Formats: sequence, C-alpha cells, structure tokens
Amino acid sequence: MTLERDRYRVVIVGAGIVGLYTAYHLARAGAGPIAVVDRGFLSSGGSGRNGGGIRQQWETRSTIRLARESIAAYRRFGSEFGYNIWFRQGGYLFLAETPAELDRLRAVHDVVVAEGLPSRLLSEGEVGAHVEGIAPGAVVGGAYLGSDGTLYPFPAVWGVYEAARSLGVEVALGVEARGVSSENGRVSRLVTSDGSIATDTIVNAAGGWSADLSRRAGLDVPNVASRHEILATEPLKPFLDPMVVRRSDGLYFSQTMRGEIVGGVTVPHPPGTARGVPSSPRFLTSMARALVTLVPRLASVGVLRAWAGFYDDTPDGFPIVGEDPRLPGFVHANGFGGHGFMLAPAASRRVAQSVLGEATDLDPREFGPGRFAAGPAGRAVEGLQLG
Amino acid sequence: MASRPLRRFRFGRALRASEEGRTILEALVGERLPALVRSVRYHRPRAAFCGVGFCTGCLVRVNGRPNVRACRQAVREGDRVATENSWPSPRFDVLGALDALFPRGIDTLHGFRRPAFATRTYQRVVRRLAGYGRLPDHGAPAAGIRPPTVLRARVVIVGGGRAGAAAAARVAALGEPALLLDRGPGPGPIPGVEVLPSTTATVLSAAGPGGGDQFTLLGYSAEDAGVLVRAPAVIVATGSYDASLLFEGNDRPGVMTADLALGLARGARSLPFRRAVVVGSGPRALEVLSALGPRACAVSAPGGIPPELVRRASELGVSLFPRSMVVRARGRSRVRSVELRRRGSGPTDLVPCDAIVLAHRRLPHHPLLFQAGATMVWRPLSRGYYPALDPSGRTSVPALFAAGSVAGVAPAEAAASGVAAAEAALGRPRSGPPSTPVDPGNSGEYDGYFEELLTQPRRGKWVACACEDVLLDELEAASGRGYRGLEVVKRYTGLGTGLCQGRYCVPDALSVLSVLEHRAPPEVGYLTQRPPVVPTPLGSLARLHDEVGGEVVP
Repeated sequence: MTLERDRYRVVIVGAGIVGLYTAYHLARAGAGPIAVVDRGFLSSGGSGRNGGGIRQQWETRSTIRLARESIAAYRRFGSEFGYNIWFRQGGYLFLAETPAELDRLRAVHDVVVAEGLPSRLLSEGEVGAHVEGIAPGAVVGGAYLGSDGTLYPFPAVWGVYEAARSLGVEVALGVEARGVSSENGRVSRLVTSDGSIATDTIVNAAGGWSADLSRRAGLDVPNVASRHEILATEPLKPFLDPMVVRRSDGLYFSQTMRGEIVGGVTVPHPPGTARGVPSSPRFLTSMARALVTLVPRLASVGVLRAWAGFYDDTPDGFPIVGEDPRLPGFVHANGFGGHGFMLAPAASRRVAQSVLGEATDLDPREFGPGRFAAGPAGRAVEGLQLG
Repeated sequence: MASRPLRRFRFGRALRASEEGRTILEALVGERLPALVRSVRYHRPRAAFCGVGFCTGCLVRVNGRPNVRACRQAVREGDRVATENSWPSPRFDVLGALDALFPRGIDTLHGFRRPAFATRTYQRVVRRLAGYGRLPDHGAPAAGIRPPTVLRARVVIVGGGRAGAAAAARVAALGEPALLLDRGPGPGPIPGVEVLPSTTATVLSAAGPGGGDQFTLLGYSAEDAGVLVRAPAVIVATGSYDASLLFEGNDRPGVMTADLALGLARGARSLPFRRAVVVGSGPRALEVLSALGPRACAVSAPGGIPPELVRRASELGVSLFPRSMVVRARGRSRVRSVELRRRGSGPTDLVPCDAIVLAHRRLPHHPLLFQAGATMVWRPLSRGYYPALDPSGRTSVPALFAAGSVAGVAPAEAAASGVAAAEAALGRPRSGPPSTPVDPGNSGEYDGYFEELLTQPRRGKWVACACEDVLLDELEAASGRGYRGLEVVKRYTGLGTGLCQGRYCVPDALSVLSVLEHRAPPEVGYLTQRPPVVPTPLGSLARLHDEVGGEVVP
C-alpha cells in the first residue's frame, strides 16, 4: 500500500477534478487524515479527457448557480493554486438551426437572464460574426454568454492535486477500489487492489466508474457510463473565440490556447466501462461531417488525434451529491454527465459539507442520492447535457 | 539527363520554376536549406528536418491551405506558396526575439499569473504564439474534395517497400485479390495487385460492421479523397524512419535526418550544405556517407566505428569521432559548427559544419499496429517497441500481420517476411524458411549515453519536442515535482502532442525519463497511439461518413 496509514477520516475514490477538489476543501476545513485512491494515473479519466468547456447556460437555476460559482473559482485559480489553467472567457455560443430550437434557447436564455447573467439571443448575422467561415444558412440564430469559456484541464488537476497534498492529503495512484465493507450499517472499510483501508466515510468521485463502485457497495444507482469521443485538429492561428455548441446532434468545438480545434459530437455506443475507450471510425467521420458542413473552410484542416472518455450520466441530468441514506458514510460526488469540470469547484464544496455533516444549499430533490427512490414524477430535469 | 517540363509557382512574391515531379521543398532548396517557418512558442527558425512528412520544419501555405508539408507536396503550375507563423519572414521574424529574451524558456504553467488584472493581456499574447498556419482561405468547393474510394480486398497491404510489395505479389500469385496502399509513389505495377500510390492509411480498426470483414481501414489520397478499405486480413509493412537525437540546438536549420539528406540527394539538383557531420556507425551511416561523398566532413558515433565505415571515411578524407556524443549545434539561423564530446567526460571537439545528418538509429513506423491493438514488445538493444510476432509475422490481433522493418526484420529478409505474412494471411503453407525478426540495435552503444548527456552543461535551449517547443528542462521540472511516467509527463509538458505525434521526441524522452525516474524504459510506459496516424483532412473523413456505418457490438 502506498498510503502511510491504515485508517483515514475520509477516503475519496477518484483523483479527478471532483475528488481532488473535495479532498482540498476537506483538508482546508481540517477534517483529519484524508486519502484519495485512483485506479489510473493522474488525469487518466474524464478530467484528462474533456474539452475544457465551462458554461453557465443551463436550464435550471440550481445548476446555473453552481456553474457561476465554479467560474469565479476558475478565475482565481492561478493565484489560489499556482498553476495557469488559461481560463479564457471567450463565451459559449449555442446554435439554433430551426425556429423551434431558437425557441428552446430562448427559454434557457430567460432562466439565465433571471439569474442575472447577460445572456444574449443572436441573429444569424450575429452568430456569423462569432464564427468565422460559418456556412450561410446553417443557423437561424443562437444564444451567447460571453463570460462562459474554456480552460486547459491538465494544470487544473495538477494545481488542486499539489495543493491537496501540501495540506497533508495522501494520493495513491494505480490503486483500484474493489469493494466497500460496512459495520453496524455504516461504512467501515474500502477494499482496494492494494489492501483495505479503514474509514467511516467513503466519497465516490469515480466518474465513469462510480456506478461500478456504488454497486459494489450494494447500492442500486441509476448512473450509466457512456463513452464519448473527441478529437483535436492541427493547431491553427487563433480565429475562433467561443465554444460553439449545437443541441440537436451534441456537436461542440472550440479553439484551445494551443490553436487546436477540439470537439466532439454524439455517437451512440453501448453503455458501461467494459469496452474501454477506443476511438471509432464512425465518430471520426461523423465529427468531420458535422464540422465541415458547418464551417466549410475547415475541410483541408487535418485531424491530429482522437480519444474517448466516459460520461457518468444520470436520468435527470443532475449530478448526485451527498450521503446515501441507505448507507451512512457513503457519500456521492458523481453523475456529472460529462460536465464535472464545469461544476467541480462549487459541487465539491457541497460534497465536503456533506462529509462534515453540515447542511448544504442543494435541493435534495435535484441532487440528493435518495431522489430516485420516489420515481421521476414531479422532479426537475436538467436537459442541457451535451456531447 | 532529359529535362522535364517546368512548373512555375510563386514563393511569396517571387516567381520560381521547377521541374515537374519535384516537391515544393526540392524546388526551394538552393545552396542552403531555407528556414520556412517559425516554431510555436519561441519562434525559433525551422527548416526541413525529417523529409518524410512528419515534422513541423517545412510547413508552408499552399493556395490558401495551411500546414502543407513542402517535402510531400509536388509543385503544380500556378501554385502560390507562402510562409507562415513569421513576420516579416521566417529568416527575420520579429517575435524571434522571444527566443533570445528567454534563453531558458518560458514557464507557461506557472508564470503569467500576476498581476491578476493582466491575465487577459497575457492570454492574448500567449494565444498568438500558438498554432502554425491561419484558417484556410476557402472551403472545399464541391469539386475540391473528390468522392471517396471504397474498396474491399481479401488482403490489404499497407506500405509498398520490399516487404509490402513481396507480400502483395505473393497474395496475387496465390490467386487472391490484393490491395496495396503506399504513402509515396509506391512499388509500381504488380500483376494482379491493385496499387494505390500516394495513399496514406491513417486509421485501422479491428471492429468492422459486418461479420466477415473484420478490419476497417481509413485513409486519404493526395487530392484529399477519402479512402475506406474493408478486408478480413491486413499486412502492415510501414517500414522505418530515422530517429532524432537530443542535444542543444538539435532543431536548428541544417540538422536533419538521413531520410531527408538521402531524399534530397536523390530528388534535388544539389545538396543544401557543403560540410556535413554524419552521426551514426551502422549501415545507414555508411549509406549516407556514400551518398554525400565529399560533402561529408566527419563521422561521430556514440560507440566504436566499424572497419567498413572507417575504410569509406578514409577514402573520402572524413574525420572520425568514435565514442562521442553530440552536445551542441552552434549557430542561430543555421548550423555553423558542432561540439562533439568524447564519452566519459573526455575533451570537446569543435567541428565547423553546415549540416548534421542523423543516421544513428532507425525506428519502426508502428502506430498502425499499436492502434489496432497488437501486443508490442520492448527491444532493449534498439530501445524501441516492435510487434510480438510468430515466425509467419502474425501479431496478437487475429488476421493482422507485420512484415519488413516495422517488424524488426533485417533488410535482406524483408521480402521473405512479406511472402511469409501473405501465405499466413491466406492460411496457406509456408513456402520459405521462417523469417527471423532481429533486434536491429547496435550492441550497447547507448548504455549510459543519456545519463552522461544529462550532466552536460546547458547554455541554451535543449529542445526535447520540436513541434511544441518543449525543453529538456521542463521534463526535469515535471520529474522533480514527482510526475512520473511518459503519459503523465506528456500531459504535464505537452511533449509528444504536436504534429509529428511524438515520432521524433518520444524515443529520446523515454530514455531521459528512464534516467530521471531510475527505472527501465518499459516501466516508464509509452504513449497511447491514437488515430489517425498522420493528420487526416476533415474533408476526406467527412466524405466517408455515409460509407463507414456503425461498429459491431462485441
């Protein structure tokens, strides 16, 4: 075992952005000895495989608030953690290719504006001003929020990792969580590929693998791991400021600080983590078709590499945050649906509050682990999951 | 020599002419190798380095299309060739001052954070330093990207060198349809074989949509037409390429691989140097020495120099530097001399030269095999990964074979390995003796080399990854902070994420990390070889969309 102790106050499964941020918040609160275990190397999961988009345009006010708080955290990241994440607020541009889609964007826009954010509805011409080379007639309009943006995910992971470690958090990499033992109805041990660790609190921040862990703890959860693919092109000189997204096919793309166009599009894959994360010819051609149709000038630009990762989807589009009522000591920090990086700084604060037994401001009918027992009737849905 | 018709093109504002069939690079080479582009972070001048279409040294804009490799693109009548990522020119570039201002590099991970109000300004500046070419001037008109080529074959062979050509001929001789794809001009016509020259295979998936057709291969032709091949068996004969070498100034114009030097000796009218130092001691170095003749001035090798090379060198009056390491190429806009340090902290020799030709090591061109999931094994002598094969060239993936130098087969046995793979792919009995992959590395001459290299004084930048301007110092800093393993250091520094996909930086970075982490290279890990093998135009992939279909769910 690469960990120094055999008992920890809290063991967090998953050294992604959510798990590490949670460890950081807990360590700052003086929660006691904290360990983080991860099956892979640092940033080998979703936190190292995402497109780096951070947006506040959501359908529900609760998600908007978490995103807004996260953006504030990423703005101060450099001074707080000592790493440049190059958080560039170039905006998020939702495309509408039909009047009906524009109406849906208008509904989102109204919620976003009600939260005090200056979202704008754009005409076709205004969309064109944001996306150089967009095909004429490709859109009827869009919605835009300039304070959304993109960041470079890796240094965010390094920064939080180093900060957590300097506060005494131990991180064991290459250690897989295999099971959860309980005593008297409460979590007692985490069983790993490298021995078992005594603890009375386990945080499940395992991203795409979180459902596997919850089930090993005997908990029936609705999370589904879905494979999503992404590609990067050759680096070009900067020409595109916003992240461009389209709900109809899940297309999203932006230009990174390094000049690459990075993005994806939804291609159906069988659920679950068993098949790993290969890239498919189907994705490459689908994404190429979507990009070239929208921005024909990209036709001669080369695809440099493609990769894939897991989303951790929930039926209602909200993450699962908080202690599981069926197993005291088992705290969920998962179900982020491919949007964990967007919400991590704010959501992980609530996870830490849950671990410490403090009240959070999250509505349990939206975020609570117990919400699924009651069925979907009457509960809110966050439908703006993309990619 | 019969003169070929001339093709006229513009280079910047100048009107140039070149013989038909020559590449843009060959047409631009004169007395010197011209700096054609500046690098991404420090705007260091760069000229052609690899000569085989992988590196970032000869990127030009052709007819409004960015990031075209001048070494791969034939000159066409009326072409407009322009330089990029430099102002006013690659030779005199204003931002090139950055290189001198920051002799030990810029820390973009930790710098630029204060004062906070300046963040947006920093971002605008740093963002301008990224990327090579500008967005293409125009999209592909309907005629610009041609309809895709969709083919089926009993066996598809990737690579038309000795092994690939022999494999294709054998498949045809056994009465089965064979298809051969070659990135270059190809082997010429082979009876019974459909040969697609100028066709690059970039994606190989072992999950096809139909039952019998196991493999899906994607690629593109010279005119950006997408290529889709389905076949139940694939023979990968993608050959090998000359490695880079880590030393100070290894990215300066004039440092080049043997691939480039030999290619120019064949294709260009004149070699763009007068005094070349050849690095290496094996058959490749001998080949280079013979091709360069009086333009070679010295041979440097990390170990001993074998008698035949000594003999050839003395015929040519070339100085020999056995047991030497290249520690520094001097000169800014081009190489003017090289410092050779005797192994074991010996004296340093300064050799005036205007080129350094790297012929010390060949590497298997194996990304397609990695991509398809073949088990790869580390060969300690050649310090590289080769496919695990049975005597017929069968990989760990059913119906996937490797032949020739990508399989570690010696040149003399390349054709035989292709024949064996063809017979095995068709399930026929083997007609010849089993091919015997060998470890082509020279025995132990790199033992301790990188340990010693890392102790050399550093006066300027040691560029570990030229595509992304990642410095050796950054690898050490990452290691010093406890980030271990090639996958993690890649993400920490950006090494290996550029246009060459890590072909030139990863081999030496693996050795460096092995030293820094005090463990053997296989324990340092390797980079996942992601599709595509080389940058593949979006337009060619887009045209394949309707043909590809979904995956089979296992």
